[in-house]
Amino acid sequence: MSRHPAPDELLLDYAAGTLPEGPALAVALHAALDPAARQAVDRLNAVGGALIERETEASLDDAALDRAIARLDQVAVEPRATPSARRPGFEWAPSPLTPHLRAGMGWRRILGKFDEIRLDVPGDAYRVSLLRLEPGRGLPEHKHPGYEYTVCLQGGYTDATGSYGVGDFAVGPGDQRHEPIADPGDPCIALIVVEKPIVLTGPWGRWLNPLVSRGII
Amino acid sequence: MLTAEEAADLIEAIASRQDRAAFAGLYRHFAPRVKAFIMRGGTDAEAAQEVAQEALIMVWRKAASFNRSKASAATWIYTIARNKRIDLLRRSARPIDTEDWLVVYAPEEEDADKSVLAGQTYTRVKELMGGLSVNQLVVIQKAFYEDKTHTVIAKELKLPLGTVKSRIRLALLRLREALEKDET
Repeated sequence: MSRHPAPDELLLDYAAGTLPEGPALAVALHAALDPAARQAVDRLNAVGGALIERETEASLDDAALDRAIARLDQVAVEPRATPSARRPGFEWAPSPLTPHLRAGMGWRRILGKFDEIRLDVPGDAYRVSLLRLEPGRGLPEHKHPGYEYTVCLQGGYTDATGSYGVGDFAVGPGDQRHEPIADPGDPCIALIVVEKPIVLTGPWGRWLNPLVSRGII
Repeated sequence: MLTAEEAADLIEAIASRQDRAAFAGLYRHFAPRVKAFIMRGGTDAEAAQEVAQEALIMVWRKAASFNRSKASAATWIYTIARNKRIDLLRRSARPIDTEDWLVVYAPEEEDADKSVLAGQTYTRVKELMGGLSVNQLVVIQKAFYEDKTHTVIAKELKLPLGTVKSRIRLALLRLREALEKDET
């Protein structure tokens, strides 16, 4: 079990299919990396299965089954899915990230402090990014009115709330200021899902915030 | 009625010999249930039928990826139907590829002992749900049936968010404790 699991109610929303895509991606990565989280999600899916089984039958029109069977000619039974190979250059990326990674995607240095890959995840309420921090480096101090979800994918980081390693999940109401610093060892790579907007609070924040709100940094 | 074992046999029959009679058997059992489940979320009958139809076609396509030691047929079909419902709600230009979800739920490095137990989880979960308090069952049902986040549930039940969260936690804790007791 990881030191920092995702909260149960978030796992429930994930299993029930009610989380928006950004936070759902964060939970999927957490479940891919943390066996205890995966087991918890399996259990919740089993609750979903049990609810379906307990369901009384809604009437289906008789022709529906015939229509379904008529379609099977066009639908091949596919061979067993094999685990997709990790992308070159993204060996640290667990499989739920794969559909979001594109050829030619590269790290972009931001404010001279950290690297970012902005992911194109549908829905505009969240900003979804991969961030990379060299050991000892930190993110600019920031806050945001909404929620922030973080999953550590490589290395580790420490902030006022504790130390986070691979698979660990952090959820924070953004009104707490926090300043994560990457731990020694491999560079820290994390998925960060932030409810917009984001406000920088450091000495430069006043000047940089207009750029953040326009999505430039 | 179809037992969990029989349902798993039918999916395997599709995988091994494209058995249409097996498909029809699964369809008769699950399609009306999936439709009823989806309708609880306020989806109209026609759209719910579409979800059920597409989910069962997906069961045919992906039958070879079903692994009875990792999930029961009902659990597997639930995850497929859930993803189909998400696609329908979003009318997404980029529908969720079920395979991506399957990879998450059937991760590569799982140890063999654990996965055998996962197959039994469903049966126990079904039993244990009968033992939850009404309050606990209501929050869980609302989350699943009505497609609502815990924040919305709190508003609807006119309860503080903290109360809903703690009911969810307690319900899940009871399930977890009972399952873990089985496993040791």
